[in-house]
Amino acid sequence: MRLEPRPGERIDRSKEVSFFFKGKRVSAFPGDSFGSALYASGQRVFSRSFKYHRRRGLLCCSGHCPNCMMTVDGVPNVRTCAVPVREGAVVVPQNVRGSLDFDLMAVTDKIGGPFTPAGFYYRVGHRPRALWPFVEKFLRNAAGLGKVDKHRGREHRTDTEYRRARVLVIGGGESGRTAALSAAIDGPGVVLVDESRQLEGHDLGGVEIVAPAQALGIWEGGLVAVAHGDLLIRYRAEKIVVAAGALEQPLVFPGNDLVGVMLPGAARRLVEDWAIKPGERAVVLATDDRGLETADVLRDAGVEVALALRVTKDNPREISAQGRRGRLRRVLVDGEAVDCDLLVMSGGRQPAYSLLAQAGARIEYDERRGIFVPRDVPAGIAATGSVTGEIGNGAVPAPSYGSGGDKCFVCHCEDVTVKDVKRALAEGFDSIELAKRYTTVTMGPCQGKLCQLNSVRLIAQENGEGEAAIGMTTARPPWAPIEMGMLAGRDHEPCRRTSAHHRHEEAGATMMWTGSWKRPHSYGDVAGEVRAVREQLGVIDVSTLGKILVEGPDAGAFLDRLYPNRFSDLKPGRIRYSVLTTDGGRIMDDGTIGRLGEELYYVTTTTTGAGRVLAWFEWWNAVWGMDVELLDVSGALAAVNLAGPRAREALGALTDMDVSNDGISYLDAKQGVVAGVPCLVLRIGFVGELGYELHCPSPAGEHLWDTLVAAGARPFGLEPQRILRLEKQHILVGQDTDTESNLLSAGLDWLPKLDKDDFVGKWATELVAERGVRERLVGFVMRNPVLPLEGGQIVSEGRSIGRVTSSRFSEATGRHLGMCWVPPELAEDGAEFQIMVDGTLEPALVHLQPFYDPEGARLKS
Amino acid sequence: MSTLAFMSPELAAPEALASPLARALAAAGPALGLQDLSRLGKVELRGDVAAFAPEPGEELLRLTPQRAFVLAEGEVAGTVERARAAGLRAYDVSGAWAGLALSGEPLMRRLTELDLDSFPTAGALAHVTALLFRDGDRFRIFVPQELGHYLVEVVLDMTRGLA
Repeated sequence: MRLEPRPGERIDRSKEVSFFFKGKRVSAFPGDSFGSALYASGQRVFSRSFKYHRRRGLLCCSGHCPNCMMTVDGVPNVRTCAVPVREGAVVVPQNVRGSLDFDLMAVTDKIGGPFTPAGFYYRVGHRPRALWPFVEKFLRNAAGLGKVDKHRGREHRTDTEYRRARVLVIGGGESGRTAALSAAIDGPGVVLVDESRQLEGHDLGGVEIVAPAQALGIWEGGLVAVAHGDLLIRYRAEKIVVAAGALEQPLVFPGNDLVGVMLPGAARRLVEDWAIKPGERAVVLATDDRGLETADVLRDAGVEVALALRVTKDNPREISAQGRRGRLRRVLVDGEAVDCDLLVMSGGRQPAYSLLAQAGARIEYDERRGIFVPRDVPAGIAATGSVTGEIGNGAVPAPSYGSGGDKCFVCHCEDVTVKDVKRALAEGFDSIELAKRYTTVTMGPCQGKLCQLNSVRLIAQENGEGEAAIGMTTARPPWAPIEMGMLAGRDHEPCRRTSAHHRHEEAGATMMWTGSWKRPHSYGDVAGEVRAVREQLGVIDVSTLGKILVEGPDAGAFLDRLYPNRFSDLKPGRIRYSVLTTDGGRIMDDGTIGRLGEELYYVTTTTTGAGRVLAWFEWWNAVWGMDVELLDVSGALAAVNLAGPRAREALGALTDMDVSNDGISYLDAKQGVVAGVPCLVLRIGFVGELGYELHCPSPAGEHLWDTLVAAGARPFGLEPQRILRLEKQHILVGQDTDTESNLLSAGLDWLPKLDKDDFVGKWATELVAERGVRERLVGFVMRNPVLPLEGGQIVSEGRSIGRVTSSRFSEATGRHLGMCWVPPELAEDGAEFQIMVDGTLEPALVHLQPFYDPEGARLKS
Repeated sequence: MSTLAFMSPELAAPEALASPLARALAAAGPALGLQDLSRLGKVELRGDVAAFAPEPGEELLRLTPQRAFVLAEGEVAGTVERARAAGLRAYDVSGAWAGLALSGEPLMRRLTELDLDSFPTAGALAHVTALLFRDGDRFRIFVPQELGHYLVEVVLDMTRGLA
């Protein structure tokens, strides 16, 4: 099937490559695509169409249409006409039930037409409602493209690279090359991106060539995404030149999808690039010179050209193609039959303006040439060549040359016929955007490259409006299809690790995400870890807490304005707990604030609230303009909480500090050296035992952890911590509160100092005090030994009146307990209510005081 | 002790200090030429940073008119003191940043969208905030120390991709 060697051919006949198709070995030459090699081997049917499962053959040979799509080495939807052959590859047809030659689903082409018009799935199979899932599954299986193997992992990596260019030229045709060479005169930094392989490895006078590569889109700031092999390149270009050329358009007539009907470019590439004779007897119907000149190329290749005719809007009046078993046999032009096995058709060329439109160019209809052209190209972007509308001589075709007989396709990708578009218009979907969504025209693999202009022409004719009034659909990236994996790039997720992270892993901790941090959930024995803290000594890594230094003459006043309670009167060396609220008085975070000096405060926040609190501080500081400096030291400092009856003894052995209750009493903040490490020691206790929070430079965090563990402190994780704090009824912001919770409803009415001049959320808090709360956060204990789920419903008289926020079994008290939101009238010690547990209403009692050590004697000991 | 002594790694016993990159780099081996710069001194300045004159061994990265970052080869107590004497607020943030030196523009182009000719600068690298310096083909990257291990993981992965 190969022609004699031809000048300019792109195959290397000195070597051979082979691959497998339908289990048989197919020979090819380097330079062949899978599609060309298959065509040379005699294969004519390449696929079955999307809906009707009609036979389809090569149409564009430029990687735009869906006709040649197959599964190659397990990757579906590969446009085989554009992908180079590779040794040993396995090529399999897709979307067939049976074989390419005998597809069971082709029955839809014979009898399905009347039952499956455009949008039929909006009307059929929805009643009764239970039916639709089955109908949908059937339709999805019956129609479609290739199938992704869900069990197959990623087999090749895709990367993203960031590059800069002074001038980026998109398109390596004559205009693009000229533009690139011209730009290169002014210096380096010129890049030419081209989708073909012709320029690959060429030297173009100082121009960097990236080929084969596809420009996917143009964004603000000169950003151009380019797919190049397995690499997604994000170019930042000072200037962009679009020379994307023009796209050959099919003619619309009955049978225009038969195997053997192709665009001029396809016939040319078969002959000129791959030295393949496309057919034996051809008809050429084209509106433009370029299309008609294909007849000469065919004759030169030994093809008999039975008819070559320039097509205009009125001449001929009718065209139809007829075939047998899906293959072209004859063409009828105004009733005159011409036998042939090849029909080269061209409805002219439409500028490939999409990238320019994405960049902001206006798209305008050119009546004379019958095409849409870009206008008002934005600054920093230029267009050159046929993309501007300079597409040579040609006539404007009719929207359709007949619609009787065989199906007459406007959209090859989605099997949308002229009849479908007309029906959509009749049903009221009368704009291009509505018709697109209803019929799916332009929504297939070609994304409108080969069907948009024809559908606009058809709608314009049917509506009696001009094409200019109809317009085109919105151009959106990607301009060319790419794998999702390329968009995803590498699987890198920033993960914050504390200084002692590896120690936790070595100790067998189960790590869990807390925001972007990894923290130990537990070390495998939750109850044992809880017990260690209550009875002996435990240590938990709290380095993830947010930490902010607030320094300046206005630091105290600044915090007074931010927090509901007062800090300007806090003595240096002392700590106060507080809760941060929004302007609306809603709880947003909590933590401790220690005063380290006259003008220096140390604020801690929750782990996940750190960024939000810092931004909140900075925002208010910008508003108030106070003399305050804010420094986020969250990562600079490691922190551990040493807790348990033996905490003082253990700490005392590691420091010269006076760790007695007089030396560092509850809510004191003092500095000292612990285990050779400078530390800020905070006497606080979230878990309700004698405890010290040690904050030190992060590089020393691991050493401090090791030393404390060696001193007998048992590591405990977040889960034991949650039990311990729940026994004390210490709230967890975000767990026990939500975006509607306020200080008074959360039982923190002792905290706001309403006699202050003002603070963020004061007005809202006063309003709540005046109106009363609608619900209250309270502790509860279960009467029976059952554990309600967090989120479980509080029920009264068959009605949900609240919810459980935290619940655990407490070994220290021997009770199942928790916290929940209830109506305010229930917020009294001993009040009884019911919680739904596994479908049963279980009695529970309100418990307002901490379940464990209610007086705080252990904490302050 | 000064009120912020607890922030200064240089006040800790040397044997108590560890780099956040140590484990990841040890696993990577020396062949890639990555260098751990985490132990360098770092100071954050706030205020009229133009009033601060870096001395030999100090490198100033001005982030805004009111904010700057000083890299110091030696101890930073003196740097902090000088800056405070110049009317600035200065903080020893040596423990806050992990530092990594690597070579090669191709590798950097896989890590950051920033213009490599605009260094020194601050910006996003591998999706995280970074301070970036360049000396010819050698780049110095500083990221929050808790992300240091992650940075090395990304660099190693990108190196494999380039290979």
